[in-house]
Formats: sequence, structure tokens, C-alpha cells
Amino acid sequence: MTATIVAQQAINGIVLGSLYVLVALGLTLIYGVLVQINFAHADFVTLGAFAAYFFMHVLGGSYLASIGAALVVGAVLGWAINVTIFAPLRRKGSELLPLIATIGVSTIMQNAMLSLFGPVPYAFETPYSQKVFRVAGTFFTLQSVIIIAVSTVTIALLYAFMKFTFLGKALRAVSQDRETAGLMGINPNYLIMLTFILASALAGMGGAMLAPVLVLTPFAGTTVIVKAFAIVIIGGFGNVEGTILAGLLVGLIESFTTQYLDPGLIDIVVFGLLLLMLAFRPTGLVSERREENV
Amino acid sequence: MRKQHVLAVSALSLIASVAFGAANAQDKTIKIGALFPMSGPGAYFGAQDKQGVELALEQLNKDGVNGYKFTVQYEDSACSPLPASQAAKRLIDQYKPDVIIGEECSDATLAIMPIVEQAKTPMINAGSSALKVTDPGNPYTFRIMPNEVMQGVDIATQAYNKLNARTAVLLYENTNAGIGNAKVFKDTFEKLGGKIVADIGFGRDVNDFTSIATRIAGVGKVDVIPTYTLEGQGLKITQALAQAGVVKGGDGPAIQLGTIWLPFGFEQKAGKAALGYVRIVQFDPTDQRDMVKNFVATFKAKFNADPTHINAHAYDQIMLIGDVVKRGAKDAQSIRDQLAATKSFVGVTGSVEFDKNNQNTKMDTIHYMETKPDLSWNALKWN
Repeated sequence: MTATIVAQQAINGIVLGSLYVLVALGLTLIYGVLVQINFAHADFVTLGAFAAYFFMHVLGGSYLASIGAALVVGAVLGWAINVTIFAPLRRKGSELLPLIATIGVSTIMQNAMLSLFGPVPYAFETPYSQKVFRVAGTFFTLQSVIIIAVSTVTIALLYAFMKFTFLGKALRAVSQDRETAGLMGINPNYLIMLTFILASALAGMGGAMLAPVLVLTPFAGTTVIVKAFAIVIIGGFGNVEGTILAGLLVGLIESFTTQYLDPGLIDIVVFGLLLLMLAFRPTGLVSERREENV
Repeated sequence: MRKQHVLAVSALSLIASVAFGAANAQDKTIKIGALFPMSGPGAYFGAQDKQGVELALEQLNKDGVNGYKFTVQYEDSACSPLPASQAAKRLIDQYKPDVIIGEECSDATLAIMPIVEQAKTPMINAGSSALKVTDPGNPYTFRIMPNEVMQGVDIATQAYNKLNARTAVLLYENTNAGIGNAKVFKDTFEKLGGKIVADIGFGRDVNDFTSIATRIAGVGKVDVIPTYTLEGQGLKITQALAQAGVVKGGDGPAIQLGTIWLPFGFEQKAGKAALGYVRIVQFDPTDQRDMVKNFVATFKAKFNADPTHINAHAYDQIMLIGDVVKRGAKDAQSIRDQLAATKSFVGVTGSVEFDKNNQNTKMDTIHYMETKPDLSWNALKWN
């Protein structure tokens, strides 16, 4: 019985952790390149969730296609907001202005969604949510399998993009030293734009993946974003590998805290870990190897 | 000259009397302040409360009551203490209401109570179950629904006697109301001879309840799972419990129990997972009283939807104000006094009679419903 419960909670933790990773990756990308926290990231997640919901329930699309739709909506909105709001503010030379603007964008998005979609929670059901598999005393839904599969493919693609493509290498160069990267012929503004599009697309897709799990309201994203921030810090600011590890770790911590301690203590355990990391390993689980600088 | 003087004085008197009369007519308005959550996880309360208020005002203002008309001003109290107290202060300072209705969430209501007491403005509550709202309460706060003890004692007793439940798992959000409701159930159930096999509280930021369902699946035989949470988390809990094979909706043995926290339509959103869910609702849409039938019909005509208990509660709050005005109340103090003297008000949710702490003592507002396989309700008629 105990082994079954441990296995079950491990499954639960990995599924939850995979969702956290999808949300946190966008945050870490933006922090890595811009050294800026995007407070509106949670609202991109929420918008992605609603995009997927309406794609399925109004346009009649499939759930898997709705993940793609949410990704596109996130990417387009990320591009639009960067062009119209963040980029002009960055050109003014202040780092504080774009940071404050993310708070403004977040408030506007939340209230716009409240006005458009209303306050009543939406029930986002997919054909896979109720398909339950029971194996050796454990259970998991087809939805969980999709979450893990999509997360794994996304992480692999992102990793390959960052490691093996010219744009990915350029992006890493900008994140390590924007000025030097510029001297090497890389256009930082173009890369910043790409980062926003990638991060927002990931947030949108994360929203579609989270929607069947989340309590879907215009404030849904805010319930996961604090954890995502913690994951980014635990993983190492701006570090993709660290974020993946930290996301899975936080998911597992939540599951096992629920089982063996109390779900009311989850935040204490997670944020206690965050404080320990800040005190004893402030660079995070996987620290940036600065000697790799161009 | 003297004639002209007399004429001028007469004309001025006439103008003054007409103006005074007009002002008097304008003054014959009862100002109602509404503190409802319009944002955050409890925002569905506010949206539905508003519908009930609008319908009641439309009916009361058609002919007025004792020459009085009723106006309302809404403020977003967000189901949370800080925004609620700020909204209450803003409402009292700027709108100066004769009476306030709200809040829904106990923590928010408890935060507002000292403010309305200081302003000597009566407040009618229909959504907060925490005992402290009326015990000790204050002279200006009235609650028309059963408190957590009345609901908790009743549901625990019914679970033990009618469902033959002997083991229970408590699931509740870590708020005043959640903790309080769970404690009352625990005390009563244990006193009757039942056993609590797990006591699980959680924050409002928890989204995934699979781990909690896993834990419950591992505690052994569970007969009932009293659950105290808002709609969004409630949906996820019910679905997770079904996936884990714990409750009837997932072919398990346990019956989930709920109170008035969940709005109507919950079962349709939760789907098959809600099968067998037994919960208290404080408005029975199948009630055959003319008053209820009229309410359902007019609500449907106005909003093209069936009314929920939240709609009905808000409707009753306004109708109770109409009732006290009919009995002679005309300002904050007399509304308070007449509310305290209420003996025989009958609303669509049930009847109202306040005890010395301004708590409604009537139990006919508690209706038990069981979710059938087609997700409709079976009225259990336990009270």
C-alpha cells in the first residue's frame, strides 16, 4: 500500500511539475535575456487557457488543436504587447519603466478578461480528463499522459533550439552579455522580440495545458504564477535546465507534503526551500556557467 | 407697496413649500449599500447576488413601500477582509446607505462588522456561515441564513442517522468559515459515535487536488466527505475524488457532502463525478409555494436562466428590507430596530425570525439535495 501511494504521489508530482515547468520556462527566458520580471506572465497563461476553451467549445476544435491555438494566441499577443508597450519603454533607457508596465499590462488584461468572460468559473473538460487508467493500484488520466508528453516534447524542442540553432545560440549570447553580443553582429532588439514571442507562446500553451486542471476564471493564472516565480529562483535565475529541475521538484514536494504532512503546509515547504536556496545557493540548482561567455 | 410685499412673501412661501415638498418626496428613498465580491475567486457570488437584487428592486419600486423607493449602490468587497473593509468605508462615507447587504465570505463579513457598527448602519448577511458573525456578533449585523453550527450540526446528524455514515474525511479551505464548518461537523459527528479518519485543510491557491484525493484513497473506508470550499476548487475536488475512485461518481463508496457554498449548476459542470453528492441548498426551486413559483418565473423571464440560491438570498435580503419599511422603518436606526423585531417574514428561501444575537433561528431554509445520475436533484426532505 505504501509503495503504491509513493508511486501515485510521484506520478501526481511529475504531472503537476510538468505544468509548472511550462509556465516557469517563459518567465525564466524573459529574465535570462532581459533581466526583467514579467508580472503579466500569469495573464498570458490565463488568456491561453481561455483561448483553448473557446477554440474547443465555440469553434468546435479538438483539445490537441486548442493547445496549438493557445500557443499562437500567446505568441501574437506577446509580439503585439512588446511592440506597442515594452519596446518603446525600453528605448527610453530605464529598466524600471518596462517592469512597472508589466504590472499595468497584467491589471488591464485581468480586468479585460473579467469583463469579457465574467467571474463565474468555467468547467474546462476535455475528452481525456475522465479517461482514467488504473495500473497496479495507481491511477492516472489520459489528460495526465498528454500533459507529460506535450511538456517533454516542448522542453526537448526548446532545449534543441537553444543549444543547436543559430537563433538559440544568439539568444544565449544576448542573455550572457547583451552589449558584446551586439558587437558580434547580433541584433539584441530582434532577440528580445523573439524572447517575448517564445515566452508568451509557452505561457499560452501552458494555459491550455493547465486549463483542465485550473479553476478557470480571469484570475486563474495568478494562482500558479507565485509558484512559477519560486521555481525560477530555485532553478537559478534565467537558467532553463534549472527551471525544469526545480519545476519537477516543486511538483513532487507538493504531492509528498500533501500525503505525509498537510496540504496547508505546501507554501511553507516550497518557500522555505526558496529561502534556503537564496541563503546557501543563491545561483540556484543549476548555476549559469559564466566562463561560457562569448 | 405693502400689497406687493405680501405677494412676494406669498410667492416665496409657495415656491419654498413646493421645493420642500419635492425635496421631501426625493428624500423618501431607502438607500441600500451592497457589498459583494465582484472580483477574485468568489466573484460568482457578486454576479448572482446582483441579479437577485435587481429583480427585487424592480418589484418593490413598481409601487414603492409606504411611499418609499429603493436605490442600491454596489461596491466590490472581493471576498477578502482588506478590500471588504475599504469598500465598506467608501460606501458609508460616500453613499451613506440606510442599510447594507453582504458580504458573502465570512472573513470579509467579520472585517466589515465593526465598521457598520461604528456607523450605526444595519447590515443583512445571507452568505457567511462563520459562527462569530452572530456569536457574539453586534447589534447592527443580521444573518438570515443558518450559521455554521446550525448547518454543521444538522448535516453531521443527518449523515450519521440517514446515511448511516460512521467514518468521514474533512476537506475544507483554510478560512474562518472553512475551518469553523469542519470543526462543527467533527464535534457533532464524533459525539454521535462517528470517526474522522482524515482532517485536510488547504489554501485557496491549490489547483490540483489529485494528491489530496490520493491521500484520501489511502486512508481506508470512508463513508462521507464533508467539503467546504468555493465553486472552482469544489469542482476540482469532486473530479479528483471520482478519478481516484473514492466517491460514488467514480464508482467508489463515499458520499460527498456540501453546504450552501456551491451555486446551482455545479453538478452540470462537475459531470458524472458529482453523482450521489448530497448538499444543503437554501433555496428549493421545486418548492410549490406560490411565492417561489412566481420568483422562479419572473427571474427566468428577466434573466433567461433558472435562479440559484445566491439569487434567491439576495432577493430575500431586499424583500426583508421592503418588509421592515412596510412596518414603519425609514432610516438606519429604525431599520435596525424593525429588523430585530422581525417575527414572521417569509421569503423564497424560507422564513426569518431573529434571536437576541440577530441570527435567524428558522431551519426551514435548509434543504438537502442529492445528485441523480442525470445530474438533476432529488430533494431529500430531511427537514
